[in-house]
Amino acid sequence: MSVAVMIAIFIILASSYNLVIGYGGLATVAHPIFFALGAYTAGLLAIHTGLSAPLCIAAGAIVAIAASILLAASALRVSGDYLLIASLGFQLGLLQMIRNFEWTGGPGGLTDIPSTITGAARTPAYLAICGAVAAATVALIAWIVRGPYGRAITAMRDEELAFTALGRNAMNLKIVLFAIGCGIAGIAGGLYAFYYQYLSPEQFDVLQSATILTMVVLGGMGTTWGPVVGAALLLAIPQAITFLDLPPAIMAPAQGIIFTGLVLVFLFLRPSGLIGTSGRGAMPAALGVHDHSGEGT
Amino acid sequence: MTDPIVLLQILWTGAVTASSYVLLTVAFSLTQKVTGLWNFAQAGTMGVAFYAMYFLLNDMGQPLFIALPAAAILAGASGIATEVWGLDVLRARSSGNLTFFIFTLILAELIIYILTLLFGTEPQTLFPSILSPVHIIGGIAIGDWDLWAVGISVSALVALQLFLRVSNDGQFLIAVADNARLAELYGISARRAYCVTAAIAGVLITLAMYLFGARSGITPNSPMELILTAVIGTLLGGMGRVFMGGLASLILALIQSYSVLVIGSRWQNLLIYGFLFIAIVVFPRGIHLPRRRVRLPVAQPG
Repeated sequence: MSVAVMIAIFIILASSYNLVIGYGGLATVAHPIFFALGAYTAGLLAIHTGLSAPLCIAAGAIVAIAASILLAASALRVSGDYLLIASLGFQLGLLQMIRNFEWTGGPGGLTDIPSTITGAARTPAYLAICGAVAAATVALIAWIVRGPYGRAITAMRDEELAFTALGRNAMNLKIVLFAIGCGIAGIAGGLYAFYYQYLSPEQFDVLQSATILTMVVLGGMGTTWGPVVGAALLLAIPQAITFLDLPPAIMAPAQGIIFTGLVLVFLFLRPSGLIGTSGRGAMPAALGVHDHSGEGT
Repeated sequence: MTDPIVLLQILWTGAVTASSYVLLTVAFSLTQKVTGLWNFAQAGTMGVAFYAMYFLLNDMGQPLFIALPAAAILAGASGIATEVWGLDVLRARSSGNLTFFIFTLILAELIIYILTLLFGTEPQTLFPSILSPVHIIGGIAIGDWDLWAVGISVSALVALQLFLRVSNDGQFLIAVADNARLAELYGISARRAYCVTAAIAGVLITLAMYLFGARSGITPNSPMELILTAVIGTLLGGMGRVFMGGLASLILALIQSYSVLVIGSRWQNLLIYGFLFIAIVVFPRGIHLPRRRVRLPVAQPG
């Protein structure tokens, strides 16, 4: 059941990332840092102020939104590979700060996050809460992308020049979209902090970027259900070896090998994702036709 | 006011530390120039190179003159295998930048997990002792190892420069980097150029990991941090300008070394990530020095 809670949290995270990268075409990899900001803000507020969990989680979302605007306002001037790497620098820089400050718990991590629900009903209750938030996230994103706002997002992603020529402000749309996605990631972080009651910088590093990116891409980028399938599959399959009861020194890398191996297999066998259509024209630009012949570099 | 001797000592130590970073950056930048890709799988190649040397030196008891070339061959082979069975397949499918990013990053992680399973997470150095004889020259401590490290680094760069300028294969790499399709029209194989690049990168990475691993403890995760230094150097040097990338990483290492005078050592990495972010946002095409204008002779009337 604990794995199910984890899957629900990652459905929220992957779906929000899909909104940014799949629908918005904003190729950043910094999503885990907004997850981290939500988690640390919620955890620290819960420890030091005793605020209720929903308020702490909301505060986490607000901090994530504020940070996303900071990144978007500066880094969204560039695109493609440049944006990928700028976002990586932003993520690693903030993680380094979290690692160095004492009040965040430093490299040892943040402990003593209070448990808001105790007893035997704890995990089922968290599963219900996280499941409900995951369902709400998927529904919200589906609602956003199917309405007029969604058509504007698609137009901006596919033909930014024409979109701008029509008098629309692409930068504003990007910032709003980015803020929504990162705010939802902050909520996922808050839920994560209250469920696991322990946070460390390693939980939000580059591997986490690759993990959620993979969930989105392998599930089907720019599809409503793709991140749901991707999160469920990639978190559930490596758990299959837990019954072997291996020592942690072997279990962790073995699960990592299964995870990364699966990603590579899917990347070659189903490049457009499990839910995505197989037609090349339907692929998001970041996955589709792109010149890598080395020209003009 | 800081003692000038201290400043010179930091300069020298920083330059020695940079010798491995420069090689890693040049390997990354050359690959980026020729293939047009940000090849994060080179972090995996770094791990392969270091642990191959470590295994041969410490577990098999082989001398360095066997361990070093063997590791270079293995690293080059892993780079070529990635090229042939991975990147080439994605190119044939006209995959986008995210697919390449995911593939190279996940491949690096896969290799890191395998190395973690085989060698654990304890930091390892190539040799039991990291000390070497030191001479005091003009008040500055210069170790034998320091001279060896700088010598290897400079020799490798000179060899690469000669290869690119003099050899046919080197010229082909530049032609493919400029325009792969046009180069192929002239009978130059882009695939061969990519494989040659992977082999060269393997050798440079092995030398860098030898220099780095002889003086610092390395864990399977260390290459992920090292590759970021290479990325930043490549960006600041300007994409396509391989040796400028090396120079940029030297300057970065020196800035990091001097930063201990004003900030704590634990904040040094933050400095690097800050540079990465600023480099992309402010100098997405690298830092270009102003070019000196060439004065053309003016025709004299009459």
